[in-house]
Amino acid sequence: MPPQQAATQDEARFRLAMASAGIGMAIVSLQGEWVDVNPALCRMFGYGEGELIGRRVHAISHPDDLPLTAQLFERLHSGEADALDAEKRYIRKDGSTIDVLLNTALMRGAGGAPLYFISQFRDVTAQRAAERALRELNETLEQRVRERTAEVEAAHRRLEAFTHGVSHDLRAPLRAIDGFAAQLDRQAGAALDAQAREQLSRIRNASARMGALIDSLLELARIGRAELRPANVDVSLLAEWVAAELQDAQPQRPARVRVQPGLDAIGDERLLKALLSQLLRNAWQFSAACERVEIDVEGARAADGLHFVVRDRGIGFDMAYAGKLFEPFQRLHGSEQGAGHGIGLTIAQQAAARHGGTIRAEAGPGPGASFHVALRDLALPAQERARDNTETRAA
Amino acid sequence: MNGKLAPDKEILLVEDNPDDAELTRIAFAETGGDYRLRVVSDGAEALSYLYACAPAELPALVLLDLNLPKLDGREVLQAIRAEPATRSLPVVVLTTSAEPFDVDKVYALGANSYIQKPVEFERFVEVVRQIGLYWLALNQPPTTP
Repeated sequence: MPPQQAATQDEARFRLAMASAGIGMAIVSLQGEWVDVNPALCRMFGYGEGELIGRRVHAISHPDDLPLTAQLFERLHSGEADALDAEKRYIRKDGSTIDVLLNTALMRGAGGAPLYFISQFRDVTAQRAAERALRELNETLEQRVRERTAEVEAAHRRLEAFTHGVSHDLRAPLRAIDGFAAQLDRQAGAALDAQAREQLSRIRNASARMGALIDSLLELARIGRAELRPANVDVSLLAEWVAAELQDAQPQRPARVRVQPGLDAIGDERLLKALLSQLLRNAWQFSAACERVEIDVEGARAADGLHFVVRDRGIGFDMAYAGKLFEPFQRLHGSEQGAGHGIGLTIAQQAAARHGGTIRAEAGPGPGASFHVALRDLALPAQERARDNTETRAA
Repeated sequence: MNGKLAPDKEILLVEDNPDDAELTRIAFAETGGDYRLRVVSDGAEALSYLYACAPAELPALVLLDLNLPKLDGREVLQAIRAEPATRSLPVVVLTTSAEPFDVDKVYALGANSYIQKPVEFERFVEVVRQIGLYWLALNQPPTTP
């Protein structure tokens, strides 16, 4: 192939490469005018090819970056480098500024005489914007952390004040209702007819229910914000303890509660006691229609904590409403079937959640319901771990 | 002592809620004890009464509600413990709060005991009976062996 023909073929290949390149490419004359531009470059700057060719690159350079461009050309001219990288800003046709990573090489002829520049342009506007935003974000981070902390503390104080208010101010009128109803019953009970006495007893029952409801709401609030005190907890023992409390409250009720021994967890004992109290009480209450309360607590250690299930043979529930079970004030049964105020399972779930755990309810296939609890062990404080090690060694 | 407070001794109830004051009075009557109950309805009144008492007139027991107007129960308790004349008065804090935080704080301030007022009247009577027994235990002369 004659040299002339080879050169033409090279140029054709180069043009094809330029036209199909994903990044902006251009040939710029030694005088700084656009000689050739590719479609990617036109898209980047928002100009048509015809609007650029013949015009000076300076015309669309950001004014602040002109000295940088001059310096770049100078260094290439002097032969200090064959190619240079720089980051420059340009003004698009729509007036917006774009950040560009520029690579410029000076092409020289056979005798070393400079011919033209070949430049590649990569749009890094989005990347730089993201970096700037991140930098600003970091600079204001501390300020925002302070603001958010203050907000959380204020919310916490409001919650404290609310809890305090509920605890004191709602209970006091209830005590008056129950106390004076009791007095009325004592002093005038004999003179009242059966219906009036029944109504008086309804007043007292209602105030007792509301008292229990207030207690549960307070427990829910307490469980949500109590400081966790991780320790080794014998969950089997807690379950036995709760079962004994339930039996004490109803000594005549035939009941069989079987608890698998040796269920251990690392958790907060108070919270786990509340969790078991709610689940076992739930099981006990919904067994009201059964001749005998039958509850089984069994489980096994998983890699990261204790998994156990509380199973009863009571009236169960419709799986279609399983999701509603743990929502406060949601009840699937009436109080004549054993339902309470509808907060118990929310308390249990909250206690599990504080342990990074979950509770899942399942009905049937036979009678009854089962509540599957997955607890994740809490991290023991350092001195507890040390004591544990000592005990292990001693054993 | 025959199960009763000495007739010249009284219990000072610091309680701003008239319903609670009346119920406490009824509950004391229910227990059958011969208690003289003096009721004051705010913290400042409680302190000025106590400070004006001659040593022999000091109440045998102070039942102190925590939520009080003007000076609250905690401030009253602190003031009682700070004053030499009243420092050793037995004080039982009465409150509706079952918050463990409050319980710890009240003991730290120097309460002798802490009783949560229950909603249910019968339990309230039981609590008052316990207060009477507590008083007896506190004031029992030492038994000679």
